[in-house]
Amino acid sequence: MRILWMAVPTLWRVAVAGMVAYRAEMVIWILSATLPLVMLALWDAAAIAGPLEGFGQTDFARYFTVTMIVRQLTGAWIVWELNYAVRSGTLSPQLLRPVNPLVYNLFETLAAIPWRLLVLIPLVGGLVAWRPEVLFVPEGWRVPLFGISTLLAFAVAWLVQALFGMLAFWFDQAMGIFSVHFALWSFFSGYIIPMALLPEGVSRLARWLPFYSSLGAPVDVLLGRAGGLEVGAQALWVVALSGLLHLAWTRGIRRYGAVGA
Amino acid sequence: MSAPPNAPRLWTVCSALARVALMNALQYREGFLVEFFVGTGNVVAILLPLAVIFDRSASVAGWNWDQSLLVTGFFLLQSAVMGGLVEPNLGAVVEGIRAGQMDYLLLRPVDAQLVASTQRVAPAKVWDAVAAVGVIGWGLHGTGLPDLGAFAAAFALLLAGILAMYSLWLLVICLSFWFVRVDNLRYLLGAVADAGRWPVDIYRGVARVFLTVVVPVALATSWPALALLGRLDVALTAQAIVVSCGLFALSRWAWLRALRSYTSASS
Repeated sequence: MRILWMAVPTLWRVAVAGMVAYRAEMVIWILSATLPLVMLALWDAAAIAGPLEGFGQTDFARYFTVTMIVRQLTGAWIVWELNYAVRSGTLSPQLLRPVNPLVYNLFETLAAIPWRLLVLIPLVGGLVAWRPEVLFVPEGWRVPLFGISTLLAFAVAWLVQALFGMLAFWFDQAMGIFSVHFALWSFFSGYIIPMALLPEGVSRLARWLPFYSSLGAPVDVLLGRAGGLEVGAQALWVVALSGLLHLAWTRGIRRYGAVGA
Repeated sequence: MSAPPNAPRLWTVCSALARVALMNALQYREGFLVEFFVGTGNVVAILLPLAVIFDRSASVAGWNWDQSLLVTGFFLLQSAVMGGLVEPNLGAVVEGIRAGQMDYLLLRPVDAQLVASTQRVAPAKVWDAVAAVGVIGWGLHGTGLPDLGAFAAAFALLLAGILAMYSLWLLVICLSFWFVRVDNLRYLLGAVADAGRWPVDIYRGVARVFLTVVVPVALATSWPALALLGRLDVALTAQAIVVSCGLFALSRWAWLRALRSYTSASS
C-alpha cells in the first residue's frame, strides 16, 4: 500500500502526458457526448406551449446543461479498455507491472477531466448566449453537496463500467451486455428524461438504483430536487460496488490465467 | 487505379462481395440475440420521451405523435443502413490504413471505393430495420395510408439522405489517410447524426440549417416523413438532390485525392 502512495505522483505524470499526447482524439471523444443537447432541443420545443410537470423552458435548459457537465465529469471508458485487454491478451503485460491496471486506468480517467472542462467552456458558453437564464445561483449548501455527489457519481460510473469490462473474463458478448445496460441506464439515470417526468411509481424506485446514482443525483442536488438522502444512497452504492469489484477482479484474474493467456 | 469495369462485370463483382461479406458476418451468431436487446432498448429510448411529451400536449413544433413516429421509423431505417452496411466497411478502411492491409485492396482490379464499401456487413442491424418498419407502420396507422407516389418520394429521399451520410462518412475516412489519429471523428459524426431522431422543426436557426445542409441527416429522417404526409414541396426535394449529389461528388473527389497520396503503412 505504501508503495502505491509513493507511485501516485509518477502515475499522475504518466497519465497527464498520455492525455496531452492524444489531445486531438480526446477532444473529439469529449465532443461526441452531445446527447444532452439533442434531448434539450426536444424538451425545449415541447415546453413552448407551457411547462410540463413544473418544467418550463428555463428549467429544461438548466437541467440538461448541468446533466451535460456532470456526464462529462463522470465520463469513463474502462469498459472498452478492459474488454479489449482481456480479449486481445494485452492484459498480460499490464499484469506484470507493480501497479494494478485498474488503478492506472483510474488515473488516466482523472487526467482527462481538465480536457473535459476545456471543451465544456465553449459548449456552456453557447448555451448561456442562447438562453441567459441558464445561469442561476443555487442555495449555498447545495454547492459543496453537489461536489460530493459528483465525486460519488464518478465513482459509481467508473465502478459499474469496470464491472461490465470484467464480464469479458467470462463472456464473449460483454460489450453487447454493456450496450443493453446503457439503454436501461439512459431511462433511469435522468440522462434523457428528468426523474420528475417519469411515472410516479417508476421514479420512486429509480431514485435508489445505481443508474441514478451515477448521473441524476448530483444534477438534482444542484437544482434543488434531491438532497442528502440521495447522496447517502450514492455512498452505499460506492461501497457495495467496490466490494463486488474486488470479488470480480480476483476471480476473473484467476480465470484469465486458467485460459492460458 | 484500373480502368472502369463494364456494367455486367460490376454487378458480378458487387454480388460476389456481398455474398462473401454476409458469409463472414454469419460466422458470429451469438451477437444476434444481444443486438436484438440493444436494438429494442434504442427504440424505447427514442419513443419514451416522445410518449411522455405527447401524453401532455397534442403537437410539438407542428408534429403530432403519429407523424413523429414516422420520423423515428425513418431514423431507425437510416441507422440500420449506416450501422449495417456503411460503418463496418469504412471503419475497416481506417484499420487498413493503420495496419497496411489497404495495399491488398488497392491491388485488386476493381474500383477501390466499391470494394472498400462492400466488404463487410453487420447483419444484426436487421433488428433496427424490422423495428423501423414496425414503427412506420404504427405511425401510418394513425395518419392514414398515403398513395404510391408519396411512398416513392419518401423512398427516394431516404436514399438521397443515406447517400449524403455515406459521403460524409467517406470524407471523414479520407481525413485518416493524412491524420490516422483522428479516426474517431466518425463517432462524432454518429453522435451528431443522432439529432436526426426528432422532427427537424424542433431545431431552430443555425441548428436546423446544420442538420439539413452540413450533416444532412434530416434528409433521411424528417423529409421522407414529410413526403408520406404529403407536405413535401419542390424546393425541399431540389435541395435534397443538390445536397446529396454535391456531397457525393465532393467525397468521390476527396477519395481519389486521398488514394493518390496513400503511401502504405511501411513506407
